[in-house]
Amino acid sequence: MASAIDWWTARFASFAWRFTVLFTGILLLLISAIIFVLYQLSIGEISRSKQQQLNLIAQQQQLLAEQLQYSEFLQQLSLQAEQSRDWIIAYQDSQAALGDLSRVPNHLQGCPDVSSFLVAQGDDLRVYSGCIVTLAQGTLLVAFDEEDLYFLQQRFINASLVSLLLTIILGAFSGRYLSKQLLRRIKRFNQTAAVVQGGNWSARVPSTGRGDEFDLLASNINRMLTQLEHSFQAVSGVTDAIAHDLRTPLGRLRLALESAITQTPQEPITAATLEPMLKELDDILHTFSSMLELSRLEHKQARSSFQEVDLQQIADDAIELLQPIAQDRQQSILLDASGVTTIEGDRSLVFRALFNTLENASKYGGDGATLKLSLTATGFTVADNGPGIATEFHDKVFQRLYRLESSRTTPGYGLGLPLVKAIAEFHGGDVELSNLSPGLAVTVRFRKDRSISANGRETVGTTAAFD
Amino acid sequence: MRILVVEDDQVTQSFLKKGLTEQGYHVVVASDGQDALFQALEGDFQLIILDRMLPKLDGLTVLNTLRSAGRTLPVLILSALDSVDDRVKGLREGGDDYLVKPFAFAELLARIEILLKRSSHQQPAEHSALTVGDLSMNLITREVSRQGRPITLQPKEFQLLRYLMEHPGQVVTRTLLFEAVWHYDFDPQTNVIDVHVARLRKKVESDDLAPILETIRGVGYRLVDSSVR
Repeated sequence: MASAIDWWTARFASFAWRFTVLFTGILLLLISAIIFVLYQLSIGEISRSKQQQLNLIAQQQQLLAEQLQYSEFLQQLSLQAEQSRDWIIAYQDSQAALGDLSRVPNHLQGCPDVSSFLVAQGDDLRVYSGCIVTLAQGTLLVAFDEEDLYFLQQRFINASLVSLLLTIILGAFSGRYLSKQLLRRIKRFNQTAAVVQGGNWSARVPSTGRGDEFDLLASNINRMLTQLEHSFQAVSGVTDAIAHDLRTPLGRLRLALESAITQTPQEPITAATLEPMLKELDDILHTFSSMLELSRLEHKQARSSFQEVDLQQIADDAIELLQPIAQDRQQSILLDASGVTTIEGDRSLVFRALFNTLENASKYGGDGATLKLSLTATGFTVADNGPGIATEFHDKVFQRLYRLESSRTTPGYGLGLPLVKAIAEFHGGDVELSNLSPGLAVTVRFRKDRSISANGRETVGTTAAFD
Repeated sequence: MRILVVEDDQVTQSFLKKGLTEQGYHVVVASDGQDALFQALEGDFQLIILDRMLPKLDGLTVLNTLRSAGRTLPVLILSALDSVDDRVKGLREGGDDYLVKPFAFAELLARIEILLKRSSHQQPAEHSALTVGDLSMNLITREVSRQGRPITLQPKEFQLLRYLMEHPGQVVTRTLLFEAVWHYDFDPQTNVIDVHVARLRKKVESDDLAPILETIRGVGYRLVDSSVR
């Protein structure tokens, strides 16, 4: 008993079985409903109309009995009984029986309630349905032959049973087939998950191209996998970068410390010996926290810090901050703030992106360069007339810790542009480099499409007007 | 001045204790949140240095409990969590300042000094003028002069000098200056602040005037009263 329950529980845990049972059940219910309606419309209807006619005849005879002389009524009745083929009309008073039957059965119900009774016709027993009307001198019976109806009913029931049985078989098979079809697609998801678990991040769920819910699910899962793969690569990228690029400064620091310790007997450690080490360590820590911040920006979702940011104000502040350094390099900074200058964003991050870009231009633009900062509806562009960056390196400068051969001697960590890019992407925008002749233009966008925002504002305006 | 140092890392704790004691502070240490809360509620301290991640009781919970108990003494939060969100959370819970690990000890000292000064005269009187030695600044007319000779300053230079004059004799770090003058939440790392201070110095120490704006190497700056030296 328990094992049987276990067996069923196990079966029922499988989707295919549950689906098949449910599917068959629903199909059965549907077919039963159809049979019921059909029955009501055919046999039910015939039986009801027969009963109606029966009652009509009974009423007619009753009326005649009241209006005619008794002998006239009896005469008329026997005539009627002889003429009607489909109906049995019989009458019995205290003396004799008249009509189609030798006697009127007395257990029948009075009209309009109909009941069945058996009549012997030769060797045959036939089923009739009828009712009796009690008149002044006798009892009148009106009935019809139920045999045809009964036969019809039997055939209907048989047909129904067969069709229900067929439904069960068909339902089981098609339910099984359908669930197998569904499961086959789910199996693909499981297979892909297993492959990904096995370490192959490039595995994707195949799509049938039909665009159904499963394809939608597949494309969602695939998108998620792509994102995870990118994060995964980013993380391992950072780890690799840290391992490679912090090794050099850490190595230097170690050498310096070692030599300071070994030389202590001859020349005692002084502040002058330690200070460069402290500087080196600070640089390492800064690189480290910048990389952490980059990763955080790349994976951060919360935009709680977003507000309306006055780009013009930020540009003024950034220029003011950089101005003394630029002047030392005989560079001039021009500001073109003719465009829309309010954007949605994180004030400090936007400042940072702008300042970093500007500082980069100043650092690599060379002495005497002209830096042009233009504010746009979506962000800003910084253009310089310095040496620029060859097109083949345009992608590389966005890699963390990447430093162009020519700039290895300039102080820096190779995190400036990646950080600008991360900030832009965090805001939903991007960064684009383009060559000028001479120079480089860095365009930073904090959002990609300006029309969306413009529409949004318009809507807000309309609402306000209605208020 | 009594300072409670709450830090579970023993090495950091002993360095803090040693460094602060050398500066003349009386230091009491606590290594976990419960002990910290007990000490803070029982003892009479002028300042608490509170690590965020502590065994037994989280730093922010300690802070929250203290504030609920009506203790208003300044609390400087130390934390290895350095995102803006963490910072905002720490300050919202009642912290007076937030310093991210790893930090320079000089930065910590400078911030402690500022917090102590701020709390000793709770309401900083709304001065209309600032004076440090022979240097004076009128906050209303925005006129700056030294020994009566007017000095013309750019807006940011004025703000830099104002911050320095509000903290005379104290070491002010670059980060503090940047936060106070530019109001952006990040460490520019480059020498931009130094360049700005250098320009300011050129103006306030022009001609034959005695130097008043000292550079503390690797740390920051200090505005001193030239007449005292």
